[in-house]
Amino acid sequence: MNQNNITQDLPQLVFVETFGQTAIFEAPAEELLNITRVFRNDKNFRFVSMTATDERSSWGGFKVWYIFSVPKEQGFIALFIKLKDTENFPSLSIDFPDTWNYERKINTFFGLTPVGHPDLRPFILHENWPADIFPLRKDFSWNTKPKIANGVYNFQEVGGEGVYEIPVGPIHAGIIEPGHFRFSVAGEEIVQLEPRLGFTHKGVEKLFEVLSMDDKVKLSEKISGDSSFSHSLAFCQALEQLANTKPTERVDYLRVIFSELERLANHLGDIGAIMLDAGFNFGGSHCARLRETVMLVSERLTGNRFLRGLNIPGGITKDIDDQERVRIVRNLENLLKDFSEIVKVAENSASLLNRLKGTGILSRSIAESYGAVGIAAKATGLKRDVRVEFPYAAYDKLILETIEIEVDGDVYARFYVRIKEVRASIRLIIQALQVLPEGALVNEIKKTLPKNTVTVSLVEGWRGEIVYFVTTDSEGKIDRVAPRDPSFVNWSLLGQVSLGNVVPDFPLINKSFNLSYSGNDL
Amino acid sequence: MIIFIGIIQAFFVPAVSPLFIGLIKKIKARFQNRQGASVFQSYRDIWKLLHKDEVISSDASWIFRLAPFIVFIVTVIVGASIPLFTTVFKQLLTSDLLIVIYTLAGGTFFLALAGLDTGSAFGGFASSREMTISALAEGSFVLSLFTVALIIGSTNLFVIADSKNILFNNFFLPTILAFFSFFIVMLAESGRFPFDNPATHLELTMIHEAMILEYSGKRLALMEWAAANKFFILAALGANLFFPWGIAQNLNLLPVAIGVIVVLVKIIIMCLVVAFIESVTAKFRFFRLPDLLITSIVLSAVAISLIQKI
Repeated sequence: MNQNNITQDLPQLVFVETFGQTAIFEAPAEELLNITRVFRNDKNFRFVSMTATDERSSWGGFKVWYIFSVPKEQGFIALFIKLKDTENFPSLSIDFPDTWNYERKINTFFGLTPVGHPDLRPFILHENWPADIFPLRKDFSWNTKPKIANGVYNFQEVGGEGVYEIPVGPIHAGIIEPGHFRFSVAGEEIVQLEPRLGFTHKGVEKLFEVLSMDDKVKLSEKISGDSSFSHSLAFCQALEQLANTKPTERVDYLRVIFSELERLANHLGDIGAIMLDAGFNFGGSHCARLRETVMLVSERLTGNRFLRGLNIPGGITKDIDDQERVRIVRNLENLLKDFSEIVKVAENSASLLNRLKGTGILSRSIAESYGAVGIAAKATGLKRDVRVEFPYAAYDKLILETIEIEVDGDVYARFYVRIKEVRASIRLIIQALQVLPEGALVNEIKKTLPKNTVTVSLVEGWRGEIVYFVTTDSEGKIDRVAPRDPSFVNWSLLGQVSLGNVVPDFPLINKSFNLSYSGNDL
Repeated sequence: MIIFIGIIQAFFVPAVSPLFIGLIKKIKARFQNRQGASVFQSYRDIWKLLHKDEVISSDASWIFRLAPFIVFIVTVIVGASIPLFTTVFKQLLTSDLLIVIYTLAGGTFFLALAGLDTGSAFGGFASSREMTISALAEGSFVLSLFTVALIIGSTNLFVIADSKNILFNNFFLPTILAFFSFFIVMLAESGRFPFDNPATHLELTMIHEAMILEYSGKRLALMEWAAANKFFILAALGANLFFPWGIAQNLNLLPVAIGVIVVLVKIIIMCLVVAFIESVTAKFRFFRLPDLLITSIVLSAVAISLIQKI
């Protein structure tokens, strides 16, 4: 990436260094809004994630990081502002709504105030957490047990005649993750929906600072149980970038195969669950069966249905032998045959299509301004897929024909993007199995990492873009790991998408996103 | 003999109704390539619930406590007052079609009140949805039964069921149209597809299940049992008023035995149809349900107008 181009247009920026694919810049806090505008509007850099680091022990202040990606050049920009002798930083949330929740999160966890942010209610941490204890500051020890506080959380209220509220959750009638939804409803129409999450908060980011390296990898697998492989891949990739170790080609191909198996299992499960929630039992039960066949393949190959314990820094722990290569192809071909039949039945069911089409429409402009990722973005016609734009593992060597998109942005579009991706995943796995090159399973990575640097690692999980932002301290130890599950971004869409729909359609809309609570709450 | 048959008539509906709920579940499971629970599972569920402790909200009033008994007793009384396997009970006071329809509506009324009583948001919207649907269903419920009543010239259900030639006396078309109309009402009133999904765990989409969400233990057992009774009553009305074959016209043992078997077979066929619908269609969007109920009213109206022409 050419950092001279950037510093020429924006002389306020100070270029720090380039590490791997990531160019690091420092910006003066008062120029941040202008710089961000130029980055986004003129240069078409895409905002990826945002976080903070507590570096008071080295130079006495905090840094707030803004990560951008440059799709054409397959690189990343890590822009930071320094906060010395201040705990305030300028808020961008009015101009760029996709920073809204990141700033709230920094406010809650670091105690840094985004000046000008309209909504500084605590985020993820609930009212039983003391408002003056900030768990991601370095002087907060991970095993501290603060006293139970009695704060208040005010939901947004809608007034007017006949408007009533429906509080749903955090305990639900089905076996799903906990989350609270506050609906304001007029008759059956949703006039406002405020999701409140954080019930599965488990201090992941703090634990990343204290656990040993092996446990860090295991922790990344537990961020969102259904994306175990993608999360650990993104984290291991970041470590490999830091240690400047490339895994062998065989590992790259194996990682593609396992990633796609994960995608396949989850997409099949979701396609079935969407049909089931619409009451279309035939499709629901058959897709559940197909998902199970994929889970069984995963278990046969790795001993784990959710592909855990596979990724390690520098390689992978399980191989696929020649006998299995033939067997998997046979399994997948059978699966594709059954799947095509089920899709045909579903597409011919007028009652199912009537439920799915036109329900929960996400407009393209909202998707863009909220920074939607993954299935939700693809269903509005936005071509966003890390596998194609920032290829990792062996994705640049395999032919992923195109980014599968739909344009309507409704439940049906999200349903159908999944159907297309199932077919594409099966093609990819078969392709990768046929050309699987020889090579070692593990390339040991160096124990010493470069000092005071940052790296960004992206992986296209089945939900969308998984981001790992990893920094090292002055001793070359991992200082901070900021994972971002696609759910964190897409949860903010749900309130928008549900507006104007009827209450009984909400579960269907929710299912068409199928976001992770655990990945959001961290 | 009449006392003996009368006792069977009185207890017939609550005794066999859970079997058919189990049967529908079984057929649905088979449609989905699943083994499914035994057809007797509904009995076991009711038995289990009857032995469980209850949790009743401290805000619940007497309506909440009493409603399960009212709802259940209504279905037992109505179940005893409709033609099931014999037509000899013509003198029953409660066997008029208007009495049957509006006694059932009384049960629904208390069900909806119980849903509102605890002040839970789910119960509230469920009662509102139930009332929307039953208000729209009421018209075609009455009209579809009036079609056969007009043909026979009596509103006594046993008299209607007694006339075996209803389908062959130039009344084929109105009877069939009225039956389709009635069938839609049956699905609406018993909370089946495409109106309600009795198997769902999604609170926000529920109608009947959300109204009884606050119930547990014995009262829940009564509510579930009453729902099974109601389904059986509606199915039996459909089977015996529109297709009145095989029903016993006296109290001799053989015709009564045949009557029992025939009515069960007819209801099994209805269950097959219901299970088939639930397996191959999706649930309708809530605001499309009135369209379906209006279709039902139109069918009944056409059926009645066809009688006048003849």
